[in-house]
Amino acid sequence: MPQLLRKTEGQWAISEEPKSLWQSEAEWQSGQALLVAVDSEPSVEWLAASSISVDFPALTDGRGLSLAVLLRTRLNYRGDLVATGNVHEDIAHFLARCGYNVIELPEHKDLNTALQWIAPHTGFYQASVDSPAPVFSRTSG
Amino acid sequence: MYQYSEFDRTFVNQRVAHYRDQTARYLDGKLSDDEFLQLRLRNGLYIQRLAPMLRVAVPYGTLSSKQLHALAAISRDYDRGYGHLSTRQNMQFNWPAVADVPDILQALADVDMHAIQTSGSCIRNVTTDQFAGAAADESIDPRPFCELLRQWSTSHPEFEWLPRKFKIAVTGAKADRAAVGVHDIGMRIYGTAANPASAEIDIYAGGGLGRTPVLGALIRERLPVQHLLTYTEAIMRVYNRYGRRDNKYKARIKILVRALGADGFKAQVDAEWAHIKDSASKVPPEELQRLSQFFQPPLFVEQPDNAAALADLRFANPNFNRWLTHNISAHQAPGYAVVTLSTKSPGVPPGDVSAEQIDAVARWAAQFSYSEIRISHEQNFVLPHVPVSGLFELWQQACAMGLGSHNIGLLSDIICCPGGDYCSLANAKSLPVAEAIQRRFDDYDFQFDLGEIDLNISGCMNACGHHHVGHIGILGVDKKGQEFYQISLGGHAGHSGDAPQLGQIVGPSVARAEVCDVIDKILQVYLHNRFADESFLNCFSRIGMAPFKESIYAAAA
Repeated sequence: MPQLLRKTEGQWAISEEPKSLWQSEAEWQSGQALLVAVDSEPSVEWLAASSISVDFPALTDGRGLSLAVLLRTRLNYRGDLVATGNVHEDIAHFLARCGYNVIELPEHKDLNTALQWIAPHTGFYQASVDSPAPVFSRTSG
Repeated sequence: MYQYSEFDRTFVNQRVAHYRDQTARYLDGKLSDDEFLQLRLRNGLYIQRLAPMLRVAVPYGTLSSKQLHALAAISRDYDRGYGHLSTRQNMQFNWPAVADVPDILQALADVDMHAIQTSGSCIRNVTTDQFAGAAADESIDPRPFCELLRQWSTSHPEFEWLPRKFKIAVTGAKADRAAVGVHDIGMRIYGTAANPASAEIDIYAGGGLGRTPVLGALIRERLPVQHLLTYTEAIMRVYNRYGRRDNKYKARIKILVRALGADGFKAQVDAEWAHIKDSASKVPPEELQRLSQFFQPPLFVEQPDNAAALADLRFANPNFNRWLTHNISAHQAPGYAVVTLSTKSPGVPPGDVSAEQIDAVARWAAQFSYSEIRISHEQNFVLPHVPVSGLFELWQQACAMGLGSHNIGLLSDIICCPGGDYCSLANAKSLPVAEAIQRRFDDYDFQFDLGEIDLNISGCMNACGHHHVGHIGILGVDKKGQEFYQISLGGHAGHSGDAPQLGQIVGPSVARAEVCDVIDKILQVYLHNRFADESFLNCFSRIGMAPFKESIYAAAA
């Protein structure tokens, strides 16, 4: 059983669900769950995936953050977007803000800690996928 | 100055709470060294050669008396009673305990300060002209735009994990005191204070020092300011996605700009920008007006004409006269002056200031400069708004506290990184070299005769001491375990209003014991060759490297 957090109707919670059968970009066919690398170029074909999972090679690799932003804002992808691989509990809040709605942690990681710090801030300076209004639209408006 | 809103305060306090928990988990063994490394770096904490080092953000180098007193208190309560002014306008503490850092961050938060993003591969503290809002040659105060960038870049979810550190510098003056040409992004703002929303910005990208020094390319001219954040976002996204991550030494944006060519890079940025230029991050004019209100100049009062009294004081006090000559810059308002308080005197590492000195500067700012202080990238304190009538008293007090050196812009006003004495990255020590040069050329008349010379020292090719843009640059290198020093000439950061220039290496590096002799030879070649008032830089560009090289290496040849 994979260890994951899932956001449902705006609320994050620990979720127990069977692992999807991910297909890499080369093998993948429409309707299947797609696993992509952080340096992939997003394609409209991906919109036919049942879910998209992005494989983080290291906690310091921010490419998967930009990829999520492009998927959510450029391709308007609305399905499950899963962060997997070397995902860290203290990075989860950035993943959430960039549009991931499922965060899968490595087995040795504590899901409760991840859940505790999924939203360390109650407000943000800049616009992002999950909070589209920057601070100035709230102060200057 | 910018005043925190409740939103800012809440944000910083929440950040402290998160970091406190991260520290507790680390000390409890729940986070590995490698994991904690990445988290602590983004809160300013390095582990140095001898102890941790905490780098406190001083946004665009501006702080208040109250904040400066708080930094003095932190240096007493958690450190060894001193701090260090960095070349990026920040303050560093060299001896905090890892377990104390959450409390230090809370003490900072209590005076509206933080250490967020002062290290790590993320967008660092935005730097600017230390004379912003006061300099006579300024067209527009860059700080409202810096504050806009500070807020936008703070915990930006997409750009917290870049290939490498990322530094933005902004200027609004003719002379480029912010060195915008040697930053990852450099911004030159044109406009008027009355109408900040109609300002325009030239954007330079891909500049930097380090192992591969390069000047930034102008990729966008006269960008209307409402696009400041969207255009920056486009640059950051291209860099975040395509910057190299396989090799630390090729990961800065300058390598990407070089690989794609400036035109190729610009094309990618423009293509990205086309998608987002009218997004929610487009800055409304009201926001630019709102931020500009925070940086309105103080209400200057008309000053009596004290030229005669000042002339008498200058005549009676030669050192005061010298101090006025070197440490005072022209102010926008008549009757006021911009004062630079030098931290450079022999026996004290450049930029090091004791708690007593920090408190004194905070008091002087309250008494003479509307409670405002700046830190310059030359590692000095600046009091931006001092009435001319207060200069003599300020000078006397500064002398009594060891901050009265009259050497700004002269040979002994050395920029120097902490080097091998503290830094675990360094190849060689830099502080003893600075001290030896300051002692050797201590004679004021000699320094005055030389005129303006920027001498910059870095202990390794990361170039924290900006050696590439020193008129004379010194770089510490490691040769089979021995410390050697490579000398370069002719660099400058664009201070005079000219385009910046990288220094040229003179020749083979020299041992530490020889550095002062080599500097002496360089100075003698200059003195021997210069025309009447020709500066070192102008003389170098006229006569070229050959005479210097000949003098330095003649005996060995």
